Amino acid sequence: MKNLIIAEVHKLFKQGKTYYAIGAIFLIELIILFSAYSQGQSVLDILLDNLKKSFYFEGNLLNGNLLIYLILNTLWFHLPLILIIIISGSVTSEYKDRTLLSIMLQPISKWKFILSKYIVGILFTLVIVFFLAITSFLFSYGVFGQGDLIVYLDTLNFFEASDALYRIKHAFIFGAISMVFYSIVSITIAIILEETTKTWIAAAFFLIISNILLKVNFNNYFLDNWLYVKLTDTWQYLFYFEIPWGKIYWNTSLLIVYSAVTMIVGIIIFNKKDIA
Amino acid sequence: MIISGQNLSKSYKSIKALDNVSVTCAAGEIVGVVGANGSGKSTLFKILLKVMKPDSGTVTINSKRKKPIGGIIEKPALYEYLNAYGNLKIFASIQGLETNNQFFLDCLTKVGLPIDRKDPVRNFSMGMKQRLGIAIALLNNPECVILDEPFSGLDPIGITSLKNLIIDLAEKEGLAVFISSHILDELNKICHKLNVLKNGKLIHSGTTQELINESTFAFNITAPNIMSSSILKTHKASFKNNQAYVNVGTDKISELIKELHRENIHITSCVPEVNMNKMFEN
Amino acid sequence: MRHFLILFYVLCFGYISAQDIDLDIIKIQKRTDTILEFSAEVKINVDISFVNIPEKSARIEYAKNEDTKVFSEDFVLIPKKGLDISLYQLFKNPFITVDRGTETRNLKTYKLINIIPTNKKADFSIATVLIDLDNSRVNEYEINTKKDGSYIVIMNYDKPSSILPSKIEVTFEIERIRIPLKYMGKDVQVNKEEYKSNEQKTGTIFLSFNYTDLVYNSFTK
Repeated sequence: MKNLIIAEVHKLFKQGKTYYAIGAIFLIELIILFSAYSQGQSVLDILLDNLKKSFYFEGNLLNGNLLIYLILNTLWFHLPLILIIIISGSVTSEYKDRTLLSIMLQPISKWKFILSKYIVGILFTLVIVFFLAITSFLFSYGVFGQGDLIVYLDTLNFFEASDALYRIKHAFIFGAISMVFYSIVSITIAIILEETTKTWIAAAFFLIISNILLKVNFNNYFLDNWLYVKLTDTWQYLFYFEIPWGKIYWNTSLLIVYSAVTMIVGIIIFNKKDIA
Repeated sequence: MIISGQNLSKSYKSIKALDNVSVTCAAGEIVGVVGANGSGKSTLFKILLKVMKPDSGTVTINSKRKKPIGGIIEKPALYEYLNAYGNLKIFASIQGLETNNQFFLDCLTKVGLPIDRKDPVRNFSMGMKQRLGIAIALLNNPECVILDEPFSGLDPIGITSLKNLIIDLAEKEGLAVFISSHILDELNKICHKLNVLKNGKLIHSGTTQELINESTFAFNITAPNIMSSSILKTHKASFKNNQAYVNVGTDKISELIKELHRENIHITSCVPEVNMNKMFEN
Repeated sequence: MRHFLILFYVLCFGYISAQDIDLDIIKIQKRTDTILEFSAEVKINVDISFVNIPEKSARIEYAKNEDTKVFSEDFVLIPKKGLDISLYQLFKNPFITVDRGTETRNLKTYKLINIIPTNKKADFSIATVLIDLDNSRVNEYEINTKKDGSYIVIMNYDKPSSILPSKIEVTFEIERIRIPLKYMGKDVQVNKEEYKSNEQKTGTIFLSFNYTDLVYNSFTK
C-alpha cells in the first residue's frame, strides 16, 4: 500500500499540469487578495455606515485579517474547481492512456490501487490548503498588517487580532475538510464516467449546484441540517461571536461520514468494473 | 502446460466476441493467434490475462509465481511523461519489487533499449515502446508472456529485431509466449503452434507447419535461370523476372524441386503461398 | 450723585442678568474650571443589540478648553458624545438655565435644570441636567443635539469629593443596521419586518476611567 501511495505521489508531481494548477491557485489567491483590498474600504463603509453617527473609529480595519477573511469567502469555490481537475485527472488519465490496464496486468489489488488514489488526492488537497493558508497569512500580514477583524453575520462582530487569528486558522482547517469532500467526490465521478471531459463537467456541475443550494433556506430540519451542501461552509460558524463548537463538530463529523461513504462507493464500483 | 484457456466465451451486448475457444501454451513454446481485425484475439488475451471475466469457460495457470503471467494488450500503455527508467521504476515499485539501479539497467538491456536515454517515453518510436512494454511485462519474472499484435506499427528491421527477442524469451528463458497478429507472415516463422480465429470461433489449430501445409497450394520459386524450365511450363507456372509462381501442393513440391534440379535450375528460394481463403475457411 | 445712580443701575442689571444662570450650575462650572489637564486609561464596553465587540482600552488626554484626544493601538469605537468628562462641551457656549424643580433617583433627590445655549453655533438645542447638590456635581444629563440625535449621560463617582467620574454610561439612539444581501454571510435570517422598519434602537456605551497626571487649581466649596 505504501508503495502504491509513493508511486501516485511520484506520478502526480512528474506531470506538468500539476504545476500549472498550483500556479493558477496561488495566482488566484493573489488576485483575490488585491481585489479584496480594493473593495475592502467600500465594504467597511457599508458595514460601519450607521455607526458613524455615534462613533469615531480609531485603528485600521482594512488589515490583513479582513483580507484573509474576504479571501476565505471566495476561496472555497475557486479552489475546488481547480483541485477537481487535477485529482479526477489522476484517474481519468489512467483510463485515457490505458495505463490502468498496464497496472492491472501487474499483481496488484484493485481496491488498494484505487484507495491509494483517494489517499493521495486527500493528501494533495490538504497540502494545497495548508500552503494557501501560509501564503495568505504571509502576504496579507506582510503587506497589510494585523488588526481587529470586522465580520457581518446577522450582527456586526469585532474580533481582536489574536482572536481573529485563532478563528481564521480554524476556518482553514474546517474549510480543508470541505475541500477533501469535493476531491473524494471528483474521484468517484471519475471512476463512474472514466472520460476526462465528462468527469470535469459532472464534477464542476456538482460544485456549482452545491454552491447554489448552500444559499437556499429549505425550512426543513432534515435538509437544513443533514444535506451535505449545508455542511460544506461550516468554517463560517467560526465567525459567530460565540463559536457554536457543537454544531461545528456535528457538521464536520457528518461531512467526514459522507466523504467515507462516497469513497467506499467509488472503491466498490471500481472493484466490480472490468478494466479492459 | 503453463497456461490453458478452456471453452472460453464472451459476448458484448449482442455480439459474440468469443465462442467456445480453447488454447494452451507450454514453457518454451511460442503460440500464435491469427485472425482478422475484430476476430476476438484481444478479447481472448484479456481473458487469459485475467483483466476480463469470460461469460463461460476457465483459465488455468500452472504457476506459483507472484506474477504468473505478464503481457501487453493492443498497444503498450506507458506513462508518456516519464522516461523508460521511470516507467520501469513505477511498475516495479507498485508490485513491491526489491530493486536497485542495476536491476533497471539490466531490464532495459535485456529488451535492447538504450540505458542512456533520459527523455520521456512520448519521444520514443513505436518499436522502442513495444520493447519497454515487454520489459514491464517481464517484471517479477512471469512464466508466461502474452503479446497482442506486437509487430503492428513496426518497420521491417524493428519486426526482425523483436522476433529475435521473442525467440530468445522462449528458448533461453523458457517462457510460454502467446502472440497475436492479423498478418500470418509475421507469425509463421517464429510460432510453434498456430490458432486461427474467425468471428470469435477457433477454426483451425495445430502446429504451424501443419496449418501452413494444409493451406498451401502454390509456391514461389526463385532461380536465375528459372525461365528455361520446361517442367514449370507444363505446370502452367507464371513467370516474373527470376521468379515462378506454380500451383502445386506441399505433397508434390519436393518432387518438383528434384525435377528442377535435374533441369539444372539452381533454386535460390522456395516460398509457400498460403491460401488465405483456405486458412480462414470454417 | 450721577456716578452713584449709574453704579446703582449697573448693579441692578447685573443682578437681573445673574438670575439667567442657576447658581448651582455656576458652582459646578467653577469647579470643573479648576481642572487644567489630565490623562486617563479608559475601558470601553459597547452594548448595541446588533454589534458584538469585546472590551477595548484607550487613553484619553484632556487639556482645558480643548477637545479631548483619544489614542489607541487596537481598533476602538470611540463615542462621539460622552467623553466630555469636564462638561466643557456643555458650558462652552453662552447659555441660560431654567429651573425644572427636583427629581428623585434611588432615594436621593437631585435638582433638575435645563441648559439652553443662546449662541446659534452651539451643537445642541437643549440639555437637561440632574445635579447632585450635596457634592456639587452633575449626576446625569440628557442632550438633544442638532445633528446627532439625543443621548443620555449618567456619571458615577467613586468618592463624594470627586469631580471627575470613575464610570460613565452613555445611552443613544441608533438605527438597525441595513446590509445589502450580497455582503451577508451564512445563515442570516433576514427578518423582513425588522429589515424594513425604521424603528430606532438604543445603544449604550460603558466607560470606566483610571486617571493619571491630573493637574488642577485648588477649589474651596
